[in-house]
Amino acid sequence: MSEKHHGFMKTLKCRECAREYPLEATHVCEFDFGPLEVAYDYERIKKSLTREIIQSRPKTMWRYRELLPIAGEPTVGPLVGFTPLVKANRLAKALGIRELWVKNDAVNYPTLSFKDRVVSVALSRAKELGFETVACASTGNLANSVAANAASAGLKSYVFIPSDLEQGKILNSLIYGANVICIKGHYDEVNRLCAEIAGKFGWAFVNVNMRPYYAEGSKSMAYEIAEQLGWRLPQHTIVPMASGSLLTKIHKGYQEFVKLGLVANSETHIHGAQATGCSPISVAQKAGLDFFKPVKPDTIAKSLAIGTPADGFYALKVMRETNAAADDVTDDEIRDAIKLLAETEGIFAETAGGVTVGVAKKLIASGKIPRDSSAVICVTGNGLKTLDAVQGHVGKPREIKPSLREFEALLAHEEKVNA
Amino acid sequence: MATPKKKITATKPSSPTQQRLWLMYPPKLIKKPFIYEVGHKFKVVTNIRQATVTDEIGIVCLELDGAHGEVAKAIKWLEKQGVNVEPVEIGIVAG
Repeated sequence: MSEKHHGFMKTLKCRECAREYPLEATHVCEFDFGPLEVAYDYERIKKSLTREIIQSRPKTMWRYRELLPIAGEPTVGPLVGFTPLVKANRLAKALGIRELWVKNDAVNYPTLSFKDRVVSVALSRAKELGFETVACASTGNLANSVAANAASAGLKSYVFIPSDLEQGKILNSLIYGANVICIKGHYDEVNRLCAEIAGKFGWAFVNVNMRPYYAEGSKSMAYEIAEQLGWRLPQHTIVPMASGSLLTKIHKGYQEFVKLGLVANSETHIHGAQATGCSPISVAQKAGLDFFKPVKPDTIAKSLAIGTPADGFYALKVMRETNAAADDVTDDEIRDAIKLLAETEGIFAETAGGVTVGVAKKLIASGKIPRDSSAVICVTGNGLKTLDAVQGHVGKPREIKPSLREFEALLAHEEKVNA
Repeated sequence: MATPKKKITATKPSSPTQQRLWLMYPPKLIKKPFIYEVGHKFKVVTNIRQATVTDEIGIVCLELDGAHGEVAKAIKWLEKQGVNVEPVEIGIVAG
């Protein structure tokens, strides 16, 4: 195929043995079953992607499109990304660090999570490859994003969910007209059935046969952080870990910007955050291991509850290479961190955001992130999606009769209590 | 290029299937010859594609070939022995 046809992509390459494969809907190496990753023509990209060109483009993640795995122009999710990087002075003071930023994907468009990045890339590529039906297996954010982005692109979608999922989360996908299929069974069985379905039907299964393209969408978060910081890498980035993929792609994004000369090659540490109830990667990192042991998840941070993380091995490698740390927080610490972020910065994050803020607090307190440094916290989803996690933990409204006297009495009472 | 407009057909329980799996052995099971046993107990062809064994864990990437029902029974048996069995993609159900 012509060079033009593939845009700036060169090939798919096995991360284990470096064997090359055509740029199709395929995801594992036929020899060692290692994961495939997109390789790019960086020499050509370097010639056509400069700071000036990027800045002249619309403020979406597609301003870095040469570094994203599509051949032509994006056709799904053209408005995704370029979420705010908030200078979090009040949170910095609370955590005791000189400078702190929050990359706020809780307001990503259209479904309020970072998954819109990966899904818009996967679906844009799926359309290029001629697919008309897309699918995913998910318990939350990914399902919402596939359903919404498929609807707007006129693609048929199938969303597979475990049958015990809360009604609210099911509605969030049904509303877009997706075919929502509940699967009765254990998590492992659901996982294997979805692998079979992905292999059997000619669909674009976003995190199976489209995974090499899908995962690359996460890099856009790194590009945006570097640009929004004034074309520099942060000293520290704290990233939530489910499969571990986001952490590895943030690293890849930073490295690509260095390779292209868009930022200087400064020291950068990429730290991982997990919930204690599902912490195979952070436990392995703290023990100095280069592999993880599978666990059965038990945490309120459902969007991070992956007991067998596909990219756990590679996430551990990145943390070793960037001289970074990992830690995990309990359900109570997650709730406290969600409240802290909301009360200091006015940002309501889902439980994964609580995990990241909670772990940032621990890493700063333990000196693993020095107090005189600068850090970026990645918030990946919106608190409105996990209301049940904080229900009953944020106090209650006070009720009064429609009487000024009663209101004044209430204020006087509270002043007395707080004195 | 992919074959996007493939006709959708239902899977028959007895149709031939090939599953690509990661088997993860806890330390106490590392010495057990489960792959030999699974090939004798069930009508499946086992094909090891990579493996790592340490004091802490045994990880085998295995291809299982056979009738759909036999492959399913082989997986159930492996799980019953205490082996963690995941599709090669791992963690397809995302958050």
